[in-house]
Amino acid sequence: MAEKVHIENLFVKFEGEQGNVQALEDISFSVNDGEFLTILGPSGCGKSTLIRSIAGFQKPEKGHILLGQKQVHEPGPDRIMVFQEFDQLFPWKTVRSNITYALKVNGAGKEEREKIAEHYLEMVNLKDFGRAFPHQLSGGMKQRAAIARSLALNPQILLMDEPFGSLDAQTRAVLQSELVRLWQEVGSTIIFITHNIQEAILLGDRVLVMSSAPGRIKDILDVNIARPRMPETPEFMALWHTLYGLLDTKRFGENGKGNVLPGRD
Amino acid sequence: MHILKKVTENKILRQVFFIALLLGVWQYFVSTGKYSQLILPDLGSIWKALVDSIASGEMGERTGYSLYLIGKALAIGTVLALFLTALAMLSSFIADFVKTITTIFNPLPGVALLPIALLWFGIGEMSIILILVHSIIWPLILNTYTGFSSVSRTQLEVGRNLGLRGLKLVSSVMVPSAFPYILTGFKIAWSNSWRSLVAAEMIFGASGGQGGLGWMIYQKRFFLQTPYVFAALFVIILIGILVENVIFAQIEKWTIQRWGMVVQKEN
Repeated sequence: MAEKVHIENLFVKFEGEQGNVQALEDISFSVNDGEFLTILGPSGCGKSTLIRSIAGFQKPEKGHILLGQKQVHEPGPDRIMVFQEFDQLFPWKTVRSNITYALKVNGAGKEEREKIAEHYLEMVNLKDFGRAFPHQLSGGMKQRAAIARSLALNPQILLMDEPFGSLDAQTRAVLQSELVRLWQEVGSTIIFITHNIQEAILLGDRVLVMSSAPGRIKDILDVNIARPRMPETPEFMALWHTLYGLLDTKRFGENGKGNVLPGRD
Repeated sequence: MHILKKVTENKILRQVFFIALLLGVWQYFVSTGKYSQLILPDLGSIWKALVDSIASGEMGERTGYSLYLIGKALAIGTVLALFLTALAMLSSFIADFVKTITTIFNPLPGVALLPIALLWFGIGEMSIILILVHSIIWPLILNTYTGFSSVSRTQLEVGRNLGLRGLKLVSSVMVPSAFPYILTGFKIAWSNSWRSLVAAEMIFGASGGQGGLGWMIYQKRFFLQTPYVFAALFVIILIGILVENVIFAQIEKWTIQRWGMVVQKEN
């Protein structure tokens, strides 16, 4: 399979008043075309820094981030980020205009914009909410709209920074299975950040596990479980325990809320 | 007591009732005959003065001139304020400079600058414009800057992610995102400058035969045409209500309320 993103010896350092913090140390991995990679790690392990570096929001200290043959320098519409925050939609535009505006900035014609917006609104089940303003939507609907906007731009890779992290458990479960369906339909390449083990297994083709202080890659595991995946199955449970063991449990116990055994979540 | 109940429950009816009450009190004091018509004219003659001055075109001319001055000052002030705020966003050095001069000049009432304006520019439109611009730009800068600084980081990053840079990012993300603050800035700028204008006109008087509502009040008092003084005051109040409660309220309804960017006022 063709490599979509290639990261080589990436280091990121934060300079603060209490000295420097090595956020990422010697990160190297690749994501294949059409692959769904989840990155799992405890809070503060640098996983957000990693995805923000790929998006171009964070300048690396050294190392390379390659998108195809191209080195990443700054944010661009070829790598669209879906954030955790509910305010990522522009509140002064309707849901539909949020999508058409993003397309307009990137040079799509008027008719094309409307057609594409309609298509993706339908895809995320928001057909009837195109004329609503973001503040009229629930959290889950906002995240769906943000995903529709991102997919509409047809990016090389979709970067998702805990997009379901602020949702309630039921909504999160619905959006997880919808995301898998969208990914299968569209065939996009996705990097998805989470601190939830179950979410990492449910979604990913592979799970990249990070450890903290400094942020390093602990392991990358294949998820050889047929979709749709059920948390109650033995393979799922086994992988859950493996991942749990890989995580820095002492740190994780303090910060990793919501990680209970599958089936009880 | 059906009507009384209706009046006490309906907000608009209540307001009408209060206004009627005030007018009634006014008319009562006039009817005691203790006060000269030169000091306390009856409502009828104030109404007549209002109608007369409108019919003769005087009121329209005075109001027009006042609004012309304030419009001109608002245009100059807005351009200046946006320019200074944009500069402040570019570097923290300029930001500190702009913040310092804003801190110094914002608390200074426009009218206090009158003598200086007189010394520097003499009696005339220039001096009034200077005072109005002064009363407009500082609150506008202060609010716009606060608004720009409080733009959501996520929305800025979404903008950059879409490919927006520089001025396009400012106009497409920062301005709408900071709009509640900018609107507040305009509201303060308007009320500051409207008050300063009336005060300034009374001191400067007419320039080149022209003068606004403030000048009209001053002139009519000079000739002891008291009903006309009250008629001009009435127009000043009316314009204030119109701009603050109708125009700004409408803009708010069409923008930040529609966008859910403000907690809707409880009535």
